[in-house]
Formats: sequence, structure tokens, C-alpha cells
Amino acid sequence: MRLIQGNKMTAFILVIAAFLILLPFVYESRNLFILLTQIFVFAIFAMSYDLLIGFTGIVSFGHAMFFGIGAYSMGIFMKKFEPTMTYFFLAVLSTIVLTGLVSFIVGLLTLRLKSHFYAMLTLSLSGLFLVLAEKWRSMTFGNDGFTFRVPEMLIDRTHFYWLSLCLMVAIFLFLKRFTNSPLGRVLQAIRENEQRTESLGFQVLHYKIAASVVSGVIAGIAGILYAISLRYVNTSVFSMDITLDALLMTIIGGVGTLVGAIIGAGLIEFAHDWLTELAKEHVIFERWIIFFGIIYILVVMFFPKGIVGTLSTYTWKRKKQTAVKSKEKVAG
Amino acid sequence: MDLIINLTLNGLATGMLIFLLAAGLTLIFGLMDVLNFAHGGLFAWGAYSGLWVYQQTGSFIIGIAGAIITGCLLGIITEKWIIKPVYGNHVQQILITLGLMLVLSEMLKVIWGPNQITASPPDYLKGSWELGGVIVIKYRIFIILVGLFIFAAVQYILKNTKVGLVVRAGVMNKEMVQALGINIQKVFMFVFMIGAGMAALGGVLLGPYSGVIHAGMGMEFAILAFIVVVIGGMGNFKGSVLAAILVGLSGSFMAYYVPDLSLAVNMLLMAVVLIIRPQGLFGAGGVRG
Repeated sequence: MRLIQGNKMTAFILVIAAFLILLPFVYESRNLFILLTQIFVFAIFAMSYDLLIGFTGIVSFGHAMFFGIGAYSMGIFMKKFEPTMTYFFLAVLSTIVLTGLVSFIVGLLTLRLKSHFYAMLTLSLSGLFLVLAEKWRSMTFGNDGFTFRVPEMLIDRTHFYWLSLCLMVAIFLFLKRFTNSPLGRVLQAIRENEQRTESLGFQVLHYKIAASVVSGVIAGIAGILYAISLRYVNTSVFSMDITLDALLMTIIGGVGTLVGAIIGAGLIEFAHDWLTELAKEHVIFERWIIFFGIIYILVVMFFPKGIVGTLSTYTWKRKKQTAVKSKEKVAG
Repeated sequence: MDLIINLTLNGLATGMLIFLLAAGLTLIFGLMDVLNFAHGGLFAWGAYSGLWVYQQTGSFIIGIAGAIITGCLLGIITEKWIIKPVYGNHVQQILITLGLMLVLSEMLKVIWGPNQITASPPDYLKGSWELGGVIVIKYRIFIILVGLFIFAAVQYILKNTKVGLVVRAGVMNKEMVQALGINIQKVFMFVFMIGAGMAALGGVLLGPYSGVIHAGMGMEFAILAFIVVVIGGMGNFKGSVLAAILVGLSGSFMAYYVPDLSLAVNMLLMAVVLIIRPQGLFGAGGVRG
């Protein structure tokens, strides 16, 4: 039953994706496409976060560091060398290697301990990366950041819109497949009951590290896309705000669903856009993040499954009820 | 010599501020198994509210009292409304306290504006003494003394009172304490309140020390406090003071000799501790998931 529902959901998403692909042919609005591109980038980032928090039950507070590594690798390669496709692929390669390495080391150090340690170490390590980006001025130009040119193929906004959309769909399908694979099943078992998984003979640590590495690399890819979309990087890519964005998107959208991460990303980016407009009317909207903070706390307390999770349990219950009722009718 | 003494005093003063933050964290963790990511927010609230009261009344002492009261009240509210509903669920606890941190620091910006606020010590703590050719800044000595006093007081409570006994027993084995008929919920709230009050005290002392306060400082100091908690051992009160002094001193000496590496050294220290002794340099067990 749930499997069919899952497939329906995937089909639904593919329909929306097709609509979004065709959108640039019929509608023209530069701002909307920039906003949508931003949503795709953050959806990728939030999905990578969901793999950790929703599927494995690991809490990371330093996810921004992978995002930042991706953004800075791309920026530095494009700035220091030529903005060609060769260097583009080299930047992607170095991002994958670096994020994989960092997430592997962090995971190795802390994932055998209680969940607090991973949250703490990632939090302080991303703080360290922020300081590094500020101090290593010859490479990163410090706090001011730097602009750079992108390869010709990626200059056109619409092309880049398609690229990020396709990447988002590809990563969604990949993560869907990944979480339903035997490895993904073990990850979910770890989330549900770590001791039991261990006593069933699984090397919990190895699985957790695998999840952490996959998630780190995908977050790095999101960072690359972010840097290209802005053609500018500064130290804010390592800031706590980026991690908080991912956290809010995943939690409010719904953990452990992947779709929730995408919906959360859309919701928060749209709201951000809208509330920044409203800030002209009243200053309280400048602090728009406070509303999301409060919503976030309420969601964690009362709807720990987020929007998607809560909705799907609701429809599932209703279906079950109608099924029971129709059975009663037949019996009566 | 002059330089070394001053760097040491500076490190000790910073260490004491970190200790005030880390002590609450480590006690709350040891007793309730909650890692309070909002602790930095309480610290920043202490700084802002204390400075506000200080500016309104003109008395630094009343300002400190105001900060501690704010901290304690926020601690009670946090424990009652934010943490209690999600007891026993680690992931939810971590998530919810970080959400609270976000709300607390944004609230600061709503009330006092997003810009940083300057702070200066009261007249009787301004300036410096000259002791045998060494210039010693008064305010640093004041912070060190307050820190030592708080350490001694909490240590006394832990060792010599009924509440302290229950807290220590609770850190060792919560279920046993409950089985003996003690209402551990009340103890939780008490410890949370004291921890929040100490964090707020640290915050208000930091203001005149660094000269300016801003909403982001809660997170900066919270990161240092986490490092201290890991190095000292989670739930280990004495460990936290030693580790805080260690982190403070290494920070102050590195900031002078190799400024670019000051945070990196503390991080490295934490990584080494995590590899070799995850229970902390001075700690006992209880860290494996």
C-alpha cells in the first residue's frame, strides 16, 4: 500500500518537474526564475540534510561547511584559473573529494559517540571553516568575498535554471533509490533503534559514515550551484544561517520524506522573498526568521513529521477508516 | 614577564567567562542528558538585559542582578515549556534547543536593534593597578574573582547540601534517585535555572570586558563552551573549570603569538580528546550512543 502511494508521489513530482521544465517557454519573468533556481539549489541542500536527520537520525549543525566548500572551490577555480568547462569539472571533482574527506573524518571521530557529539563537532568545525575563509585572504579575499566569471555554457539564466532543476530531480531520484536500497534500509533501522540494529550484526558506524559522506558530497554540489547562480562568494556561505535554512526547510517540510525538503525549500524561499518585500512596510518583517523559528519550535513539538509527514499520516488514517467502514457495510 | 603575566590574566578571565557558560551546560547534560544548544542565547540575553539595567539604574551591581534574574527566569521558562515536552527524545531535544537559540537571538535584535552596543565597566573597576612594574587591568581581576567565587559556591552546594547530593546522585544514576522517591523533575528545574543564571552572569560580565556586545556573541561563546564541555568531560563540573582555563589560556597566548590559529588550536585539542578520550580529559564514562 505504502509503496504504491510512494510511486504515486514520485509520478506527481515528475509531472510538476515537467511543468517547471516547460515554464520558461511560455512565461517570462527574470525574478521568478532566479527565485526558482534558488529554491532548487536549497532543495538539493535540504535533501542532503534530510538524508542525515530524517533517514539516519544524525543531527548535524555544521552542514554549511560542505555547502561552503563547494561554493568556494567553484569560486576559486573560476577566479584563479580560466572560467572554462575543464576547470569547472576540476572544481566539481575537488568539491567531491574535499567534502567526502571532511565528512568522513568528522564521522569517524564522532559518530561512534552519542548524537550530541556529532552536532557539536560539526557546529564548531563549520565555525572553524568560517574563520579560515575570513583569514586566508590571498585565496578567499576575506569577508568581502569576490566575484568571478562562469563558463560560457552556464551564463544563460534559463540554461542554468534547467541545469539546477534537472540536478534536483536527479538527486531526488538518486536519494529515493538510495534510501530504499538495502543500505538505506539499514540506515532507517539505525534511526529507529540503534542498539537493535547493532545486535543484528550490522556495523552501525560504517553505515552512519556512509550516510554522512553521501550527504556531505551532495551538500557540496548544492554549494557549487549556489556559487554559480550568484557568480559571487563570500564568507556567508559558511555561516550558521545556511545550516539553519536547511534545518528549517527539512523540519517544517517534513523529515524522512525527501519531498518535504523540497516543499520546505520552496516555502521558506518564497516566504523570504515575500517578507523581505513586506519589510518596507514594517520593520518587524526584517526579522522574518523569528516567525520561522517559532513555527519550527512548534513543529518539532507538535508535528515532528512536518507538513508532508503529517499530511500523509492523515490521508493514510482516513483511507484506513473508509476501508474499515466499507468492510463494516459489507459485513452488515 | 610583563607580557606573560598579562596574557595569563587575560586567558584566565576569558576562561572564567567560558566556565560560567560551560558549567551550566555540563551540569544540565550530566543530569538531564540534554545538550542545551540555546545556552549561548541565554548568555547573550544576560549581556543585553544586564547592560540595559546597568544603563537605566547606573549601578553595575544591579545590572548584574538583573542579568542573573533574567537568566533564571528564561531558564525556568525554557525548561518548562521547551524542554520538558520532549524529554527522552534526543534528536528532538537537540533540534528544539537550537530553534530556541534562533528565536532568542532574533528577539534580541527586535528589542535592542541589530547593531552592536558599547559597554564600559563602572568607574571603580576602570583602569589598572601597577604591581611591581606589571600593569594589571582591574576588570580582569574582577572577572577572575567572580568566576572563582561562583566555582567555589557551586562546588560547596554540590558537596555539602542535600540538593547537591541529589544532583550528584542524579548525574550518576537518574533512575535510582527517582526510585528512592525523590522528585527529580524539581531538581531538573533547579539545575536548569542555576545553569541559565550562570550563563547570564557570564554574558553581563563579558560586555564591559570586550567593550561591545552583539547578538551573535552567544553562538561564538557557545562554540567555545562546547569545546570546553567535550575536553572537560560531559557532566563533569570540576573538569569544566579546568578545561575552561585551558581553553582560555591557549586562546589568549595563541591570539598573541599566532593569531590566525587561535580557534584552530582549541578545535585540534577537541579532536584529539575525541579520538583518545571521548569521555573527556577529566571525565568518567557515559558517552557511547
